[in-house]
Amino acid sequence: MEEYKVELTVNNEKISATAKPEESLLRFLRRNGFTEVKCGCEKGDCGTCTVIMNGKTIKSCITLAMQANGKEVLTVKGLEKTKIGQKLQESFVRHGAVQCGFCTAGMLMAAKGYLDTNPEPDKAEIRKAISGNLCRCTGYKKIVEAIYDVAAENYGLVGDINV
Amino acid sequence: MKGEVNFKVKKIPIEFSINGQKREALVKPNDLLINILREDLHLTGTKYGCGIGECGACTVFLDNEPVLSCLTLAAAVDGKEITTIEGLAKGNKLHPMQVAFLKNAAVQCGFCTPGMILTAIALLKENPSPTEEEIKDYMRGNICRCTGYVQIVKAIKACAEGGENESI
Amino acid sequence: MNQFKYISSKTKEEVLKILEQEKSEACIVAGCSNVLPYIKDRKLPAKLLLNISDIEELNYVKKSEDEIYIGAGTTISDLINSKIIKEECNVLYQAAEQFADPTIRNSATIGGNLADASPAADVAPPLLVLDAVLKVESIDGKREIPLKDFFVGPRKTVLHDDEMITNIKIKNYPINKNGCFIKLGLRQAMAISVATIAMVLEVEKNRVKDVRIAMGSVAPIPLRLFKTEEFLKSKEISDDLIKEAIQKVREEVKPIGDVRASAEYRRYVSGILFKRAFKKLTD
Repeated sequence: MEEYKVELTVNNEKISATAKPEESLLRFLRRNGFTEVKCGCEKGDCGTCTVIMNGKTIKSCITLAMQANGKEVLTVKGLEKTKIGQKLQESFVRHGAVQCGFCTAGMLMAAKGYLDTNPEPDKAEIRKAISGNLCRCTGYKKIVEAIYDVAAENYGLVGDINV
Repeated sequence: MKGEVNFKVKKIPIEFSINGQKREALVKPNDLLINILREDLHLTGTKYGCGIGECGACTVFLDNEPVLSCLTLAAAVDGKEITTIEGLAKGNKLHPMQVAFLKNAAVQCGFCTPGMILTAIALLKENPSPTEEEIKDYMRGNICRCTGYVQIVKAIKACAEGGENESI
Repeated sequence: MNQFKYISSKTKEEVLKILEQEKSEACIVAGCSNVLPYIKDRKLPAKLLLNISDIEELNYVKKSEDEIYIGAGTTISDLINSKIIKEECNVLYQAAEQFADPTIRNSATIGGNLADASPAADVAPPLLVLDAVLKVESIDGKREIPLKDFFVGPRKTVLHDDEMITNIKIKNYPINKNGCFIKLGLRQAMAISVATIAMVLEVEKNRVKDVRIAMGSVAPIPLRLFKTEEFLKSKEISDDLIKEAIQKVREEVKPIGDVRASAEYRRYVSGILFKRAFKKLTD
């Protein structure tokens, strides 16, 4: 069994470890203690494994650990140290957008990734942005409104919550 | 014919008002209010959930008091006023509680919603400014499988605080 | 037990050298959005995972005089963000916007979608109607393969073991500007297509001057509907024409039934998609 050296930065922390060539970044992260990245479907559908790598939002279950070599990865534990991360978390809780919580980490990363590219989304754009993340509990509406609230607050839009 | 026992059930005539309309009916002694509402009057907004008085989905107002229609005999509503979820809106204008539920994402599948709304209206009549604890306590007879309740409590609080536009 | 090796390449030359040595033992990986599920299902016969996602020289959208070049390593998100794609090959832009979901689009590449050669590959129908030509390279040289000759069966292409797609060339015909892509899936996002249609159309004096139609998920390969195109050319546009063309479409597609839809449904809905696309382009 061949294992290769992988060196990357996760949440600003330098990680040096080994990985099998066929190992997914998801499994690698969880194996190295980053269990905040959730394992859902492991085939790229549910989005619970969403992280941000070198500024790109990706699904870590369909990315090779080796492909993260030399890169910077942000998980939800890194996100919550930032102002936008805290705002998103608080907004999610306030809107009841966290029920069982399993999809939440992925949703927050997808939200953050999207707001980085488009700080003034409308609700349709937010729905599109999280269309790669599945939630079994909330019916999505609360999640969309939680993200919208943060965008609206941050960028001075009128926070009218339409039905 | 000889040998046959006659089990003819004597039906009971009742008079009541439903959402402001006077109605008459002939009901069997063991008929339940929920079935009269849903099957005879075709008012299917009142939901049949558990049938044993635990989920609250069948809640209606009887003389302005919330009751579980799955545990109410039809015969017992003679001379009374019934309000169902269908009786809340005035034409196109929704009741403020309905607006609050919609605005606060308190409706997912919607099955518990009619019961929730009626119970909540009864709560605010009794206690116009309930705390979160008081809301949760009063609403404990209405179960929801979807929302996690946070938004329902929020909606009721929002309605209590007023300012809910009656139209959407 | 999977015993893989891994190499991350920085240049195209290096990739071609390795392909020459390893042939079918090597599997080129970029976004990995299909490859990792294959590995999990033990469906990947290759032994070497050859990562090309960091090769800058494969990721570009360029426009010359009358041709557009897309690097095989260009991600679907990059296609959406490209002004050239949006303006010059809008039918490809429309497909990119409906491809998988926004997160997967950040990783998935146009070359990967073609090389994987699923009959449901969403970039294929638009590229077919754009008459795309693939540049395919090996250490020995290069060749050009028109996309319509590229697919030979589900997940089967004419690529040799030691070859890789390096870019996709699209000639800038005026007809390319009037294009429509419609995707029918069981969800509005993250859906494997039930049926897709791409169409570009040129109309002159209410007659079909030129038309190109391609469909996905309704045949063993992404399909150009040459017979329907022939039927439509130079005909006057009318409701009757559309009715007849719908029949032609339904005769030309070769769908199968699977978990997503029955063959009958796919055949029927192919006609509907044709009508919708045609009407959109003629209104």
